[in-house]
Amino acid sequence: MEMSSNNLSPTEFPVLHKSFSLNIKGNKTDIVICKYNDSFMVMATQIGCMGTILHARKEESVSTDPTFHVAVIFGKRDEPFLVACARQLIEHISSYGSTRPLVLSLGLKDHSPGTMKEIIYAVMENRLW
Amino acid sequence: MASKELEENLSELQIGGNGEKKPVENDMPEGEVKVSCFTEDLQDVTLHFQIVKFSKQIYAWIGCNSAKLGHLYAAATTRPNNNVSVTSLLGGTSDNTGSSIARRIVLKTGLNVVVACNIPKDSPMLEATAERKLIERLASLRYFSPKEKHRN
Repeated sequence: MEMSSNNLSPTEFPVLHKSFSLNIKGNKTDIVICKYNDSFMVMATQIGCMGTILHARKEESVSTDPTFHVAVIFGKRDEPFLVACARQLIEHISSYGSTRPLVLSLGLKDHSPGTMKEIIYAVMENRLW
Repeated sequence: MASKELEENLSELQIGGNGEKKPVENDMPEGEVKVSCFTEDLQDVTLHFQIVKFSKQIYAWIGCNSAKLGHLYAAATTRPNNNVSVTSLLGGTSDNTGSSIARRIVLKTGLNVVVACNIPKDSPMLEATAERKLIERLASLRYFSPKEKHRN
């Protein structure tokens, strides 16, 4: 796994973003992470487009542990690992104290758990939350 | 479902289906992603723009005074006849600002786009300005060629 071109946007622009590229199982994967006021956007692509788009949010109630709601809003609805990826990231965001929802787009050549893990690790290492 | 049809049609476009003209792409190696951010200060509002270019798609965010994500829309030319289709992905309905912006971007540029927009409803002048600025920037970044745009 190799990383290249890590960029942080200037602080004047209200939206912080980070874009970088890495190699996962021989596939060049471009990842862009954006931080908006009310949500996070993570885009990971190997196919030149956004691919499947998921929305994940935290639902918090007073007395119980938080629960998370993950939905595919565009694209493949039959790939459970995409949903699992979003679920893992929203939980990670929540563990860092943020209640913002996540919009995750995954345009991948393969949907194996190994690829998902690499993407998740890369996003966690470069998180903006 | 309509969204599934849209997705299938989009994936056919990517493979390069019937020899139709595709929008001109930058001379970048496949998979190169570029992020451009800029701000336009108008008299009473500040518009922020963020454009993320993928090799086969563009993601654009338009912020009106704030950095909220806003409503999310996807638009592209679809079969038959390359008519433009737009769908709301997050929040909003078909008559909201962002959806018409997305639709017109595809009409003018032929690009496959996902647009996030938090411009308030019922602000046609602001909407028109935002759309114009965005398309000007897309043209200046050479993300599409005005001569080769799709015709309906």
